[in-house]
Amino acid sequence: MSRQAPLVIDNGTGYTKMGFAGNSEPSFVFPTVIATHQTAGAGGGGRAPPPVAGKPSHLASKRGIEDLDFYIGDEAVVNSKTYDLHYPIKHGQIENWDHMERFWEQSIFKYLRAEPEDHYVLLTEPPLNPPENRENTAEIMFESFNVQGLYIAVQAVLALAASWTSSKVAERTLTGVVIDSGDGVTHTIPVAEGYVIGSSIKHVPIAGRDITSFVQQLLRDRGDSASIPPEDSMRVAEKIKEDYTYVCQDIVKEFKKYDADPYKYFARFSGEHSVTGRKYDIDVGYERFLAPEIFFNPEIYSSDFLTPLPEVVDTVIQTSPIDVRRGLYKNIVLSGGSTMFKDFGKRLQRDVKNIVDGRIAGSETRSGSLMKSSGVEVNVISHKRQRYAVWYGGSLMASTPEFFNVSHSRVDYEEYGPSLVRRFSVFGSSS
Amino acid sequence: MPAYHSSYNDDPSVRQVGNTAILPISTKVRGPAPIASDPSQPDIIEEALDLFRANCLFRNFEIKGPADRLLIYLILFISECLTKLAPTPGRPSPGYQEATKVLQTLAVDSFALPGDAGFPLNSLYHAPGSRPDADALRSYLTQTRTELALRLADRLYPPEQTMGPDGQPTGQTGARAAKPSKWWMSFQKRRFMGRSLGSA
Amino acid sequence: MILLESHNTIIQDVLTDRFERPSRADIQFVDYDNVRFHLSTQEAKTVLLLSMSIQCWPDLAKYGAREHLQEVYGSLLLGEGETEPEYQVSIRIDLEALPEGPEDRAELISKLSHLKSTTMSAPFLAAFSEQSSLQANFKDAAGAQQSDLGGQGGEKKGDLKIIKYREEEAIFIQASHDRVTVIFSTVFKEETDRVYGRVFLQEFVDARRLQSLQSAPQVQYSNREPPLEIRHLPGLKNGEDWGYVTFILSPRHFSNPATAQSAINRIQLFRDYLHYHIKCSKAYMHSRMRHRVAEFLKVLNRAKPEVAVAERKTASGRTFRTR
Repeated sequence: MSRQAPLVIDNGTGYTKMGFAGNSEPSFVFPTVIATHQTAGAGGGGRAPPPVAGKPSHLASKRGIEDLDFYIGDEAVVNSKTYDLHYPIKHGQIENWDHMERFWEQSIFKYLRAEPEDHYVLLTEPPLNPPENRENTAEIMFESFNVQGLYIAVQAVLALAASWTSSKVAERTLTGVVIDSGDGVTHTIPVAEGYVIGSSIKHVPIAGRDITSFVQQLLRDRGDSASIPPEDSMRVAEKIKEDYTYVCQDIVKEFKKYDADPYKYFARFSGEHSVTGRKYDIDVGYERFLAPEIFFNPEIYSSDFLTPLPEVVDTVIQTSPIDVRRGLYKNIVLSGGSTMFKDFGKRLQRDVKNIVDGRIAGSETRSGSLMKSSGVEVNVISHKRQRYAVWYGGSLMASTPEFFNVSHSRVDYEEYGPSLVRRFSVFGSSS
Repeated sequence: MPAYHSSYNDDPSVRQVGNTAILPISTKVRGPAPIASDPSQPDIIEEALDLFRANCLFRNFEIKGPADRLLIYLILFISECLTKLAPTPGRPSPGYQEATKVLQTLAVDSFALPGDAGFPLNSLYHAPGSRPDADALRSYLTQTRTELALRLADRLYPPEQTMGPDGQPTGQTGARAAKPSKWWMSFQKRRFMGRSLGSA
Repeated sequence: MILLESHNTIIQDVLTDRFERPSRADIQFVDYDNVRFHLSTQEAKTVLLLSMSIQCWPDLAKYGAREHLQEVYGSLLLGEGETEPEYQVSIRIDLEALPEGPEDRAELISKLSHLKSTTMSAPFLAAFSEQSSLQANFKDAAGAQQSDLGGQGGEKKGDLKIIKYREEEAIFIQASHDRVTVIFSTVFKEETDRVYGRVFLQEFVDARRLQSLQSAPQVQYSNREPPLEIRHLPGLKNGEDWGYVTFILSPRHFSNPATAQSAINRIQLFRDYLHYHIKCSKAYMHSRMRHRVAEFLKVLNRAKPEVAVAERKTASGRTFRTR
């Protein structure tokens, strides 16, 4: 029997990316949210118990079908007025398994339209996911969905694999630093030969959502937000962030450029009121380069997190084992929507390089100028598939014939049980 | 990349009062300030105006030399000017002529010197050593403030470019804007280092 | 979601997007029952090629699938010679020659997203028309109402159509003068599934006793043994894992084309519907179990003896008092 394409599902905190292996883009991208029906007396923090089945006569008339009455993704958001929204994933990890199980149920049957019994499934997990979570995931996939086989991949490793498409990448290595910036948090994750160096992972509490709110703040400061309907404010800021922003090389110089040639740099955004359809225009100015600047100067946005991203990257590499550091500097890979700003990679590369060169120069002087360093290569890799890099990496891996060998098959599961997924084999490693 | 510093920090020949630099400026306003040797070169006032918008975003600033202290003072003064011009309920922002007047008055108004009780950054500034020194500093700062106010008004009310029939700028400039530029006024709410001169 | 949708969401999404903004595409995806799709732009950005490979194509073709597709999609359908290799059906959509109005476009999209169900409906439609011709020939229509259940010889019947829609599972369709019988064979790979399946199918039989559902087709479920209609066929498996579901459609379920189409759409997804609900029930059971475990844990936690508050002393011997 010819094998059906494996399903690749990347459930992130904010968005879920799903599709079939072998494609270059996920077929579905929607919020990881599930809308369940409001149950009376569901207050008090606890979920109301599921309805109990009635007496076994005329079951159909007595038994509720509440467990099927829910929506996921965009449909959930649309129905948020009459349903309760739940976000089953928090900080990258699955928190509510009931909701997640049903989320998968509908993802697979309604959207992907695949009979899970016919497919292998590739799921992703955040770095440092507790093994219990993997076991739970495996239990659901094998017991509820009867999948043929399962592979749970670490997101960062997939992002590295995705960077192989870049023309800048000469050798296919699974060593590198992944900067994964989505909506909620930015992670910097060092990976050595396919294994995450857990102790050196750093999180930066600045990501897409913060950039949006910074844009909002700038608009408000300028008084431009007066013409935006308050309920659209967030959406407009998001749109401006996506369409107009870029990373500059130097703020002061950029301010001067705007002064010298305002017509070239200032832009105008035309919006439409989401309810009344009234049209309005807003000037877009310094936020074009100031918004992504908060990665490089968090000080201008946040008062409690002050370390610039390039410094974080440097610290991450410096705390990793010394023998992989060169490899890590050489392969800094971007992943996620919030790394898509124009020239983001260029600026990051320059700033990291400056830090590294500064340190090298310092130690050369301290050695009495006797020792000369051959220099360290710093490379930041951005590529076309960056936005859904994790998903794309998954799609690449799941379309190799090797995938079926490293996956945990149904037979294995029946033999060993859920603890099977604690073992973990890496792609590309000799096995 | 932290906040921007003055480029005059490393000049050892500059006179200091307390630990604030007395840098040469190019100005027509009369006063004791040393006159810049080359008026085409940017001076500390120009620098303050250039760095204002960038530095305003930062809350932390490490003082690297006496010129930085003067820079901080001037940036805080720009903030004060903008606050003065900001529209309040019932009173819109003034036009160019009136704004110049308002700012001139503000510049020569009495203000606190380093060491005085009302000065916000006394932990960073040394008081002038003697009474004549204090007087000299006061008149230097008054002069600098006046010059700064003049140049700021020019930047706040840029001449509007005249539009060609195709809606593109023709490169010629027309009358000055009637309202202070919102691109500047938006920085009024931000406080450099979280401070303001606060002298009313 | 109780019923599975009959259209393919990916086709619908991608086409809706591409109709507005043509751009390159090369997407491979699947649908239930080993159906593979390939949507690509090979000639130009504005020419979409939608190809489908369906496992039971030889069976479907026998019952006039291509003719039926031709009828529905007209000139969009490519001939056998032009069909993309490895696929059985190819449809070419020229984005520059689309209908103008938004409704027309939406209709075209909907038609295209039903490609699989359209293909699968060919044998059903053939059976329906056979039934009506049989009915016309049948003299004593009224008397036949009583002689129900099973095919007691003598009656004239249409061909038994067999569609092997999955590796081991098949649909059998047979028309007779007063009904069309559709039989599904399905396999349960797991014992748990079989139990769920039996309970679930029993519900069908029970549900029909409800007043409001009297008009639904009659459903029978037999485990292990194939029903009489198809018992004569060679190669039928019988065993614990096998289940046979029989639907008896009477003319009112397909007399008008719209109801006929919706009946076909429902019936051909029946197997997936069944398996979907088995999975849903398992998920439901799991959440009940989790809930119960959480309850028990609460009870257990309550049962813990209270920890005596130990006096805490600093190094110098002073005590802290907690108030």
